[in-house]
Amino acid sequence: MSDEVKIEIDDLVPIYAPKSQSILSSLEQHDIRIEYQCRSGYCGACRVKLLEGRVDYDEPPLAFIKENEILTCCSKAITDLKLERPLT
Amino acid sequence: MQYTIFNRKPVNSLKEPMFFGETVNVARYDQQKYPIFEQLIEKQLSFFWRPEEVDLSKDRKDFQDLAEHEKHIFLSNLKYQTLLDSIQGRSPNIAFLPVCSLPELETWIETWAFSETIHSRSYTHIIRNIKSDPSDVFDDIVRNEEILKRADSVSKYYDSFIEYMNLFNLLGLGVHDINGKKTEITMFELKKRLYLCLVSVNVLEAIRFYVSFACSFAFAERALMEGNAKVIKLIARDEALHLTGTQHMMNLMASGQDDEEMARVAEECKQQAEEIFVEAAEQEKQWAEYLFKDGSMIGLNKDILCQYVEYITNIRMQAVGLNSPFEARSNPLPWMNAWLVSDNVQVAPQESEISSYLVGQVDSEVSADDFDDFDL
Repeated sequence: MSDEVKIEIDDLVPIYAPKSQSILSSLEQHDIRIEYQCRSGYCGACRVKLLEGRVDYDEPPLAFIKENEILTCCSKAITDLKLERPLT
Repeated sequence: MQYTIFNRKPVNSLKEPMFFGETVNVARYDQQKYPIFEQLIEKQLSFFWRPEEVDLSKDRKDFQDLAEHEKHIFLSNLKYQTLLDSIQGRSPNIAFLPVCSLPELETWIETWAFSETIHSRSYTHIIRNIKSDPSDVFDDIVRNEEILKRADSVSKYYDSFIEYMNLFNLLGLGVHDINGKKTEITMFELKKRLYLCLVSVNVLEAIRFYVSFACSFAFAERALMEGNAKVIKLIARDEALHLTGTQHMMNLMASGQDDEEMARVAEECKQQAEEIFVEAAEQEKQWAEYLFKDGSMIGLNKDILCQYVEYITNIRMQAVGLNSPFEARSNPLPWMNAWLVSDNVQVAPQESEISSYLVGQVDSEVSADDFDDFDL
């Protein structure tokens, strides 16, 4: 099961998603809708707050993100994650 | 005059702040204080497109078949977009370049403004296609009161900063006698006007443009004016990048890592910044009222557009660390995202517009451990 991670977002039922997939795609597959636009890391629309866990980017994204934020469109989970749902 | 176009002093731009340090002399990019601006330039260049690439022949027929109130919505929206890009095509250069101190930031500002001029050219392309006399549309931009109101609110922070900055570049800091009036020029006030100007630019790119995009895409949702929507899609892709650029500048300022005084300015202006956002949101709602004064269209009306204004204002304010003023709600125009995804902006793979193509070219570094997980 090491290829899967648990992603918790607020008080929603946790989802299990493959590590190899972007977090945004995993959320969408489980019908959790968050904002997105460019899907390649430069617009910043999909930023969410990372409460626990670690993620990795294939290449460093252009959009501005604060210390505790991640871009879901281009990041992949390395560990189990706890996220805070943004304004949606 | 203290401004010089080529600063003779040897300057280490790695130690300069973004603005109000030594002016840039050599345009060199081998060393960068903030590589993010160089990356934004690369990305913007990879996005290059020309309006003529988009075929608008079906739009002409679509437009003729629109109801009168829909023509009003379409044209007014286009006029507003033309106004916004007329301003953005020139003002970042005029306002920010004379006080910029980093070569990579200077070039980002020029690249940014240049791409806005492509947007302006594309509005001419669109209008020329649907109207036999484009002058009707263009001339109305400086006659129509509703548009003029918009122009006023969009340009006033630019004008206020540019006036003060010109005095500074001409006379320097201190108290000066200007036209018989004593005027004090201080660094704090300069930075304050610059910061507020950036906030209003952020509002323009992050809220005002998106409201207009919503109208353009609402037509295309009904399979009308699709060529126009394709152009707007390309514009939206550019604007998302510009927005990122402005957010980086604002956040660098607020963090204090670039210039401590600028961080104090940002802190002091927090409330004013929030007011600029809220004021713009209210203006956009008034604009929605004008757009739909003669009737709504399928899929979009005044109320939905106003809800979208509030929704997007909340999100944008949060992104630059301000408090969101409106009641939290979900996106009332969920179909917008599908139009804004730039993944499906269609380009032929042999054109080097696909940014991953270019990124691949630039980054040719291979390290020994790249092959670690490779088995024969």
